[in-house]
Amino acid sequence: MSHFLDRLKFFDKVKETFSNGHGIVTNEDRQWEDAYRHRWQHDKVVRSTHGVNCTGGCSWKIFVKNGLVSFEMQQTDYPRTRDDLPDHEPRGCQRGASFSWYLYSPHRIKHPMIRGRLLDLYRAERKSGKDPVEAWAAIQADEKKRKQYTAVRGLGGFVRTSWEEVTEIIAAANVHTINKWGPDRIYGFSPIPAMSMISYAAGSRYLSMIGGACGSFYDWYCDLPAASPQTWGEQTDVPESADWYNSTYIIITGANLPMTRTPDAHFASEVRYKGAKIVAMAPDYAEFCKFSDLWMPIRQGTDSAAFLAMGHVALKEYYIDRQDPYFQEYARKYTDLPMQVMLRQHGDAWVSDRFLRASDFDGALGETNNPDWKTIVYDEASRSFVAPNGSIGFRWGEDGKWNLLPKNAATQAEIVAELSCIGDHAEVASVGFPHFNQDEDELLFRNVPVRKVKLASGEEALVASVFDLQVAQYGIDRGLGGGNVAQSYADADVAYTPAWAEKVTGVKAADIERTGREFAYNASKTKGKSMVIMGAAINHWYHNDLAYRSIMNLLHMCGCVGQTGGGWAHYVGQEKLRPQAGWAPIAFGLDWQRPPRHMNSTSYWYFHTDQWRYETVKADDLLSPAGKGKYKGYSLADYNVAATRMGWLPSMPHWNANPLNLVAEAEKAGATDEAGIAQHVVDKLQNGELDVSFADVDNPVNWPRNLIVWRANLIGTSAKGHEYFLKHLLGAQNGVLQEGGAGRDNQEVKWHENAPTAKLDLMVDINFRLNSTGAYSDIILPTATWYEKNDLNTTDMHPFIHPLSEAVSPGWESKSDWQIFKSIAKAFSTLAEKHLGTKKDLVALPMQHDSAAELAQPFGYVTDWKKEGIAPVPGKTMPILKVVERDYANTYKKFIALGPLMTKLGNNIKGIDWNTEQEYEELKKCNYTVKEPGISFGMPSLEEDIGVCDAVMRMAPETNGEVAHKSWSALSKKTGIDHHHLYAGRHEDKITFKDIQAQPRKIITAPTWSGIESETVSYTAGYTNIHEHIPFRTLTGRAHFYQDHEWMLDFGEGFCAYRGPLDMKAQNTVPAAVRAKPHLVLSWITPHSKWGIHSSYQDTLRMLTLFRGGPYVWLSETDAQSIGIQDNDWVEAVNANGATMARAVVSQRVPRGMAMMYHAQEKNVNVPGSVSTNKRGGILNSVTRVIVKPTNMIGGYAQLSYSFNYYGTVGCQRDEQVVLHKVEDQDIDWLERELTPEREAQLNPVGVGSR
Amino acid sequence: MNLHNFLYGVYPYIALSVFLLGSILRFDREQYTWKSDSSQLLSKGNLRVSSNLFHIGVLAIFGGHAVGLLTPHGWFTALGVSDMAHQMVAIWAGTIFGLLALTGGAMLWLRRMFNARVSAVSRRTDKFILSWLLLTLILGLSTIPVSIGHANEGNPGVMIALAEWVQSIVYLHPNPALLAEVDTIFKVHLFFGMTVFLVFPFTRMVHVWSAPFGYLGRPYQIVRSKRSFR
Repeated sequence: MSHFLDRLKFFDKVKETFSNGHGIVTNEDRQWEDAYRHRWQHDKVVRSTHGVNCTGGCSWKIFVKNGLVSFEMQQTDYPRTRDDLPDHEPRGCQRGASFSWYLYSPHRIKHPMIRGRLLDLYRAERKSGKDPVEAWAAIQADEKKRKQYTAVRGLGGFVRTSWEEVTEIIAAANVHTINKWGPDRIYGFSPIPAMSMISYAAGSRYLSMIGGACGSFYDWYCDLPAASPQTWGEQTDVPESADWYNSTYIIITGANLPMTRTPDAHFASEVRYKGAKIVAMAPDYAEFCKFSDLWMPIRQGTDSAAFLAMGHVALKEYYIDRQDPYFQEYARKYTDLPMQVMLRQHGDAWVSDRFLRASDFDGALGETNNPDWKTIVYDEASRSFVAPNGSIGFRWGEDGKWNLLPKNAATQAEIVAELSCIGDHAEVASVGFPHFNQDEDELLFRNVPVRKVKLASGEEALVASVFDLQVAQYGIDRGLGGGNVAQSYADADVAYTPAWAEKVTGVKAADIERTGREFAYNASKTKGKSMVIMGAAINHWYHNDLAYRSIMNLLHMCGCVGQTGGGWAHYVGQEKLRPQAGWAPIAFGLDWQRPPRHMNSTSYWYFHTDQWRYETVKADDLLSPAGKGKYKGYSLADYNVAATRMGWLPSMPHWNANPLNLVAEAEKAGATDEAGIAQHVVDKLQNGELDVSFADVDNPVNWPRNLIVWRANLIGTSAKGHEYFLKHLLGAQNGVLQEGGAGRDNQEVKWHENAPTAKLDLMVDINFRLNSTGAYSDIILPTATWYEKNDLNTTDMHPFIHPLSEAVSPGWESKSDWQIFKSIAKAFSTLAEKHLGTKKDLVALPMQHDSAAELAQPFGYVTDWKKEGIAPVPGKTMPILKVVERDYANTYKKFIALGPLMTKLGNNIKGIDWNTEQEYEELKKCNYTVKEPGISFGMPSLEEDIGVCDAVMRMAPETNGEVAHKSWSALSKKTGIDHHHLYAGRHEDKITFKDIQAQPRKIITAPTWSGIESETVSYTAGYTNIHEHIPFRTLTGRAHFYQDHEWMLDFGEGFCAYRGPLDMKAQNTVPAAVRAKPHLVLSWITPHSKWGIHSSYQDTLRMLTLFRGGPYVWLSETDAQSIGIQDNDWVEAVNANGATMARAVVSQRVPRGMAMMYHAQEKNVNVPGSVSTNKRGGILNSVTRVIVKPTNMIGGYAQLSYSFNYYGTVGCQRDEQVVLHKVEDQDIDWLERELTPEREAQLNPVGVGSR
Repeated sequence: MNLHNFLYGVYPYIALSVFLLGSILRFDREQYTWKSDSSQLLSKGNLRVSSNLFHIGVLAIFGGHAVGLLTPHGWFTALGVSDMAHQMVAIWAGTIFGLLALTGGAMLWLRRMFNARVSAVSRRTDKFILSWLLLTLILGLSTIPVSIGHANEGNPGVMIALAEWVQSIVYLHPNPALLAEVDTIFKVHLFFGMTVFLVFPFTRMVHVWSAPFGYLGRPYQIVRSKRSFR
């Protein structure tokens, strides 16, 4: 009763004694124990997970007590794997376990917030009698008023507002933008749907319905390995982590397993107990190196050189010195190695050109359908050239021959595709191979065995197999004479020997040679169980596709891809959106109108943040002398303009005109249908009245106007070229330390002497945490956290589908993303009724991969209508033009219902279509129907988040066995092979949201993916390509060693060549004060951190407490010592792009010559002013600038065709260098001063002007 | 009632009541705040020296005051301790232990105020109570020259008056008049001393109640039974 009274028992304390008085028994008060019990007592446990692009995708128990989340703990009820495999548990790391802090943290956004100055302006206009849209228009029309709020972006000044008012303002801005500039000036950015699919779908559905554009993220993050589409026609497909356990030899490079794949890393340590060897490649002694038997400390950015040298060893020892039967069979059936390539005369010698096609032969070898798209092998059995099954020509326009069975398509006779004609050849040709290593020849001539072939035109051509060319390109001596071939592995002058690679990479030649040999030996013994685990660290370089191709080459030589325990394992984030087919219709409003607007974000930001104006990389310097070089003199930006003009890449806005007006104009001029409207636009393009927007991107007509960011931290972390975003897009205080000028020489992009600033009228951030993106926005909306909403979550690391669940109702005034966009849609519909009505919109769609449009431009020849002065043809030489009717006033009613196109047009994915009528009817019962009268009355309801989850799962083959059946049936028809056994055991399964809340459920095998869910093998990429003979979705249908598009050949990347890091030159422009003092010039490496990103954020108090409490940069001990930096000193990293401040972490772990600043260290905690810019000290990307690669812009050509997040420019930033110097403590300025008018006016660093 | 009577007739009871009731209530209601709030984890420094000096000094002084002031006069004479001997012991012991406590206390005070980490985690009451104790100590030491003067005059009257006053409080017959002729320095010291009792329950001082003397005679193993022994 009373602690005090209970203790007043001095004489009665000892009740008993024992052990001769050494022990006593008391009945002291035990109430204190209750404190510990209460700590863990709870009212309920709810299953949820963390939607933060964490590949872990772990299932968590969320404990709720008194209506608050008190803590979380790992779930342990995953279904078992199988008897010979460790289970998935335990999953969940310390970062995930600390998330509940955010719910009640000081970072939490609790109410709708708006920039105070904007609200004052808006209210004043409204008070004067204007309606919301007129009020917005009045603010935008007045340059002074606009600047009042744009110039203080990032400087605080938010005030609270109400949901009613804030949605009205957003809706008014959207309506005004659609009317005045066009719907394609509204942009949405949200990444990685898989981490919270419904939340992503909320915004993308709203934007797609009003005609706004959704920006890609996978490519922008530079996590998209462009090599994957190039090689396999696959965005990315990788093995689940359990498959590591099936491997017997693993090379790990660029992926830090224990740190960023924490819950999965146990498979890597477990497989070592089974006897697997692990080789680690990393410049620093990264955490994963401790798993390894061998650590290769490799010079940063040179990975491809090492892998090419391993390939040299594997190719020589397993293909030339002896022929391994398993490798031979694999290479012939599943790779393009037997495909025949034409040679083109180059001076006295030859260079490799395009693949030989059926149409090159007399009578097209009997092929009438797409003969331009059917590649050729030499058949050893019939001793003739044949077009085998499976090339992309068989995918479209006919059924049954799109498969990888070794058959002559014309006769369906068995063939044996010849790899090399060396025993049988008539001639040897000297072929030049592009080479890029400094101080070595640009074209290496090597002798290659070739055949002569008579073409339909009567000409004779030289052809060689990819194999024969590839062997020569690796510098292997085949006894054919000629130069540039290695006499031994120790020949350091010839690429790609191990000795040559040692010169480039710094790794011992003996280690490279042994690893290459062991990798191939192991694969040969185990039929492909050699694996490379790789990741962002090597994928963020400009020539990342070559780094990856060098690895893929090795894997394909060794027959590893598609074999369990083998192949590539590329992990960067939660990219596997498993129920994609069920999700896409809802996410992009395909149930109401098609097609949606999609944009590749890298090009978008490169142009709209004006980073092109500062370009230091000259495209001409990247060209190879072996190319045709039609585009010599073009800048990187010029290439991109050409790509959008030719319908290769999308562009937002499409043109320098409002697409709504274009349709109205065309109709006024007499157009009655889609073709007529398209013709009108084609005419205007051809006569120059109309042009793609990027051609004059700084013209206000082409500016992006509204930007909505949700589930993202665009400005604070992923903005490569952060300071350019601030300067040009936002018009905020910025640290750009140079003026643009390089863009002046562009041929296709118009130069304006004064660069625009503050292009955006409105930026909206939706978040539960106030990060740097919110800080620079005009409006911040409070959203539900991952424990406050119902949503779906999947990952590539395990085969389960998880729910996010509403453990507690959303805190304060927050709402789930679905409910937020629903309310915006409602406000929008109200205003649209008066101001917009029903409008016809014209969508320009690039030639899409996985559609028949990918056969647009045969032979990889570039047809540039503008340059050649010919008429453009939509869908062939320019984008496809589609008219979409937008009933703007009904946006809300459409938003909340699953629309009628699902029954009219059905569903599809990756080029296969099926009918969804049954699922549509089921959903009416499962979700109930919309009761609100109007256009969507009686349709399946999407009003509530759980209903949306169930709609996704009902329509996806991964979660509904019946849909799996329909989609596999469609694919079986295409391939002519019966695939039904893959899902047969689960035909009746239907997984619902309540099911996955009860326990994680394993998904069903679907044709969306190339692996299978099975009781006997783990999920691995490419499995169905090899074991089910489903072609890779490439030109040849096989995995590609060779790329034959003109631009690929222009840039010398037909075969994978070694290309080192670029010199970005930004480190040459730094303030004189910095140059005058001791400094270092260092490579700027931005890997993932231990305490934040993927599973939490860097600003969680616990994680900050664990390490330094603010931004930091890792430096080598020796480098630091050389300029007197001690651990924890303040340092500044600076170059022409800007500057960033951080504490130095001095460590032996880091090699000389590099600085590592962990990704996602942003501006909101403990960041002082930069001494060079006098602006808030920057983020990791303050010193970077994004660069685009022309070969990534190719489109309309089989696997090199655009698709959202599939192909396109990638946002690489790792080639950058910085100047790093020490900042004395007394020079640290926290910039905590009043905002004076002078300070407000000084947007740029002192001395930097308006260019 | 004048201020003198209030301070030395009423204030002692206020201070003692708050001290006792406050301690009991805090012990009962705020178990989690019943602690010494050690900051040793944050900064060790010379804590071993300073803390021990302070605690030895303060505990000795406290004991000295208790014995010297609360023992009835008759007992001393019965034991053959003359008033002058008592006075001299008080002066010498007070000086020695007072200086020990002052040295340790000053070091602790500097650490509490100027060690960034310790200062950052300190509550206002932590800084206040340490400063107050030091002032009380300095005041106490300042009485020594006066006491030496008395001793030299062979006059233990003040000492006896102080003891009788304390005993008058304890016997619930407060007699502030006993202090009427005492030097001001003693009175100020008394006020400071009483105030320590007043603020005691609101500070970390409560750890005094829980000095772990029990450990000295504790058996090796203690079993807390769930059985009822009633």
